[in-house]
Amino acid sequence: MLASLPSALQTLANYRIHNTRASKEVVDKGKVLLDAQAASSLGDDAWAFLEQLTLAAIDVANYEVADECLRQLAAQFPGSPRVDVLSGIRMEATQPPEIALKFYDELLETDSSNAAIYKRRISVLIRIGKIEQAVTELSDYLDTFYTDVEGWVELAELYSSCNQYTSATRALSHALLLAPQNPFYVLQFAETAYTADDIPLAIKMFMLALDIIDRHASEESIPTGVSIRAWYGVKLCCRALSERSCSSASDTLLPKNLPLLDELSTERVLTAYSAAGKDNATGRELVLSWMGPSDRSGGRLHFVR
Amino acid sequence: MLERLFLLLATLFILHAAFSTYDHLSHLKSIGKPEGALPYDIILEAVIGLAMGILGASLNAAPLKEVTWSSEMKTRSIDEMDARLGFANYINRGRKFLS
Repeated sequence: MLASLPSALQTLANYRIHNTRASKEVVDKGKVLLDAQAASSLGDDAWAFLEQLTLAAIDVANYEVADECLRQLAAQFPGSPRVDVLSGIRMEATQPPEIALKFYDELLETDSSNAAIYKRRISVLIRIGKIEQAVTELSDYLDTFYTDVEGWVELAELYSSCNQYTSATRALSHALLLAPQNPFYVLQFAETAYTADDIPLAIKMFMLALDIIDRHASEESIPTGVSIRAWYGVKLCCRALSERSCSSASDTLLPKNLPLLDELSTERVLTAYSAAGKDNATGRELVLSWMGPSDRSGGRLHFVR
Repeated sequence: MLERLFLLLATLFILHAAFSTYDHLSHLKSIGKPEGALPYDIILEAVIGLAMGILGASLNAAPLKEVTWSSEMKTRSIDEMDARLGFANYINRGRKFLS
């Protein structure tokens, strides 16, 4: 058991970096570390580990572990705003939401620059179903704290959940301004625009996402991960554009050479599913039949094995 | 393995050339001709040491890491970009079966 301590710490650090929310695993590993008093040997990382363990413990309703971690953190950092947030989340777990909201209001009265508390308030409002109030408060929060990318993406998700996709694209455009190199937000923008029935804008943004992801891809490279999703998006847009005439609410111009784009996106998606060594990736037959017979013909498509 | 050998040989050549130079210069001083030229084989030894040292250091370097933004983005996933931890909800139905 003692030999696995460094590997457990390594896994937990990995979860922190990648924002993974594997709460049960974190609590299982973290409880061992907590009991072994290994926290003191970590140095500065110990507090981040305790915070991670607190949140994971509340997630799986293991309140003893959560209280123990909170006690250690409060002892080390008395009066810290970050520890206040954790106490608030702990309060949300057992008290009714109104009590938690009142607690957050009191904290905001004493210190109105604590951005995390505003976010907790909004999270509680979303949880109890007061979406309109949550949207209003989130917009006010983003007026003050403009550079919070996470806030803009959350606002877009809130709008999308209410089917207001154009407002969602407006929120996402702010996120794109703040994090221009991030292909994931561009992809989200493209998919939201497609849902809002602005196909020319959607296809333009799908191609922008592909430009960022696959900038250095050669002709022989196989698309992996998020780029397959973006190529699917291009294919869907080409299909929509060829089946009906699409107007663009944002007055975006159509790309030239749509049939070529159609062919390219088909080829890219099918390459991803037909890569050698992956013999018959799951869903390959479905994808081939979805692409339709007319797209698979033609001597130029050389990849299909 | 070969790299370490090259580096070691290069170090030895340079040290030997340095010692030979010191030895030769003190010999010239002792015979009263302190301006004499350095023999060409010491210079050759030093240059060969330099070349082997460059070769050994280049081969011994760590494997190259990716620098492009797109290669960095390939290591991320949609889930971690969508995490939005500031707004995360920790009160869920799980507590009915997990506690």
